[in-house]
Amino acid sequence: MEKSVELQERKKRKTFREFGVLMVLAAIVVVLSIASPSFLNPINLINVVRQTVEIGVMAIGMTFVIVSAEIDLSVGSIFGASAMLAALIIKSGADPTLAFLASIGMGCGIGFANGFLSTKARMPAFIVTLGTMQLFRSVAYGISGGQSISAFPEQSLNSWVFQMGGNIGPIPVQVIIMGVMFVIAHVVMTKTKFGFDTYATGGNKRGAMLGGINTDRVKIVSFMLCGALCAFAGIISIAYLKSVPTTAGTGREMDVIAAVILGGAALTGGRGTILGTLIGAIIMSVIKNGMVLLSVPAFWQTGFIGVVIILAVLLDTWITQSGKNK
Amino acid sequence: MEPYIEFKNITKKFGGTTALSNVSFTIHKGEVHCLCGENGSGKSTLINICGGVITPTAGEIWMEGKPQKINTIQKSGHLGFAVVHQEVPLCMNMSVAHNIFMGSPESMKGLFINESYMNEKTQELLDMFKLKLRPTQLVETLSIAEQSIIQIAKAVYFKPKILILDEPTAALTNDQRDIMFKVVKKLKEEQGTTIIYVSHRLEEVMELGDRVTILRDGHYIKTDDVSNVTMDQLVTLMVGRDIDNTLPVESYATDEVLLKVENLCQGRNFQNVSFELKRGEILGLGGFVGAGRTEVLMALFGDTKLDSGEISIMGNPVHIKNPADAIRHGIGLIPENRRDDALIAEMSIKQNAQLVVLKDVIRGGLIQKKASDGLMNEMIQKYAIKAGDVNNSVMSLSGGNQQKVVIARWISNNPTILLCDEPTRGIDVGAKAEVYAILRSIAAQGIGVIMVSSELPELLALCDRIIVMHEGKVTGELRREEATEEAVMRYAAAIG
Repeated sequence: MEKSVELQERKKRKTFREFGVLMVLAAIVVVLSIASPSFLNPINLINVVRQTVEIGVMAIGMTFVIVSAEIDLSVGSIFGASAMLAALIIKSGADPTLAFLASIGMGCGIGFANGFLSTKARMPAFIVTLGTMQLFRSVAYGISGGQSISAFPEQSLNSWVFQMGGNIGPIPVQVIIMGVMFVIAHVVMTKTKFGFDTYATGGNKRGAMLGGINTDRVKIVSFMLCGALCAFAGIISIAYLKSVPTTAGTGREMDVIAAVILGGAALTGGRGTILGTLIGAIIMSVIKNGMVLLSVPAFWQTGFIGVVIILAVLLDTWITQSGKNK
Repeated sequence: MEPYIEFKNITKKFGGTTALSNVSFTIHKGEVHCLCGENGSGKSTLINICGGVITPTAGEIWMEGKPQKINTIQKSGHLGFAVVHQEVPLCMNMSVAHNIFMGSPESMKGLFINESYMNEKTQELLDMFKLKLRPTQLVETLSIAEQSIIQIAKAVYFKPKILILDEPTAALTNDQRDIMFKVVKKLKEEQGTTIIYVSHRLEEVMELGDRVTILRDGHYIKTDDVSNVTMDQLVTLMVGRDIDNTLPVESYATDEVLLKVENLCQGRNFQNVSFELKRGEILGLGGFVGAGRTEVLMALFGDTKLDSGEISIMGNPVHIKNPADAIRHGIGLIPENRRDDALIAEMSIKQNAQLVVLKDVIRGGLIQKKASDGLMNEMIQKYAIKAGDVNNSVMSLSGGNQQKVVIARWISNNPTILLCDEPTRGIDVGAKAEVYAILRSIAAQGIGVIMVSSELPELLALCDRIIVMHEGKVTGELRREEATEEAVMRYAAAIG
């Protein structure tokens, strides 16, 4: 009897591996709601979730890349460059749908280059994407001539592309889009051959390859997915802000990687979940929101984020470990 | 004799599973004490307790009449234990000498590393083990066998009071094994070292051991003088049932040629290898480690490229570009190194078992949980996989059960040809018998099996035909009725 209860409990812990990071989120929420009464205000909460969208969508792609045991440092630049491309196309008066497709295409293309060089050309992804990060940051500056792009044509703003920046009732459309994407990504990760192959490739590349999995293709597709999602996040940002600064997405790669790692993924590959990434992304925007509410001086904000990331991972490890040893 | 180490009612539980249950026995000073038992019998747990890697849930260890708490690896070393684990990787990027002296203050001269002293001492050690290596050579240039000897040498150098060897001969050739045995005997005689020896190879137990303790499913079964027991008795005690190792000679080989290879060449690995495999045949590849047998299998599976040669499957010439291609041609591979080449440690037992046949449980692009669970249950029954929860990590299984997962992965994909590289490496007697039965049953179904094995009795018992290789060339071919250990060895050594 005792044995079977123990077994059931272990099973429960096993199926709920995001427990640790969820507790971390809960702890931060509790602290913030005590420290700042306006935190739990529904308007603020909706705002927090809306601020999660860009990092969240990019982090979905990054989860695939990290689980396949690679890394993509170029996500911020892909975001910036493809958003800039879209903005220029819209500004020229062309159909925003064209801008959307061109931007997603560019994201896919950069992702393909990242993936191809990291697998077929056998270079470390860290180096490859460090290079493309610099390259496409320059592209963003170059094609815009260093100017922020805004004041889009009136008829373009009525396009479906810009509807993504609006609201349905109190709920921002982009939040709904993010929700749908997370559901799809979760299904892909847990229920499809591609998700399975991604875990296998990241867990043991040689074992997966000898099991008939095309590991190079898995990695390239992950990079392409990541690039496309970064471009998509860029479009959402245009739709919401109706402008693109040349620095758009600078430094964003660190937030995205942090969200994925907070969510329980291992940089060595083979481990990580979409649900965990969602929680990780929410933690990131909750912290940022909290700092604004508590009026933490701007100079100290990034330092504060760094400390919270370290503490959060520490706490998650501690919770997960103590669960295992029981 | 005085008891030296006393295990008193040692119990170790991991979560719900009991790895050791009330185990009590004693070890005498200066003896070679063998520890026998199938995988999962608790040997490794006991060794890890001695090594301070884990602490027992209940029970005590007494040494020379005093209770001792071995709660850290450092404490274990302090008490005089040195454990040579089965698979502890050395630092590949460092030299032999640096690996041996790693962490030892002896290698230092003031603030600096004393290279000449380390090299000199390492050379003495290499001579003792008759290894033709330089102390400054990087470990990554060593063969697996040499690496495992270096691990033993490292433990021996620091003159432990109790040396624990866990399956030390798994990767060694016969010559290397003999040298290691001499060293072990020398340690016992000259330094009075107490040796705890764990091995699946019962002939080694008979040759080296003074006393033997048998464990089964975490329980203590018996301790006896080795001179009082026979190998058959040991096997019976280990598995708790009689195993018929002399399987009936029955051949399922037909005349239909499944696979034909002609003049396969690959650099220095192998040259002009030609053979045929018939439907339902079990073809053995014999020879010493390094004779090119594994290399031939890996080339057939598309993992490496051939320089030249023809492969045809059922009469059709094929060009196998990569493993995925090999699988499409109906080939399966059970690799030699389970951990690196087959298992995905981060994935569950079920996911590992269904890696190759995932397509069979997918409908409309989605993995169907019901179909997947159904297939897993079928696999568990068919291949007698002993697993608590199939969603646990595959690494939670014993070696034998891990191997059965790999076998299930391939056979479920209905291959025409199954390549097996040392299919019973590092698994226990009971699981070995089960693997043999599985291989026979798939041969009966008409699958052609090519098996590389360094264990002669296994080749002789199982194979319809044996091809023997020596330094990359086929030196002989033996039909079942011609095959004896001696005949295989003569071809393997390329004498006459």
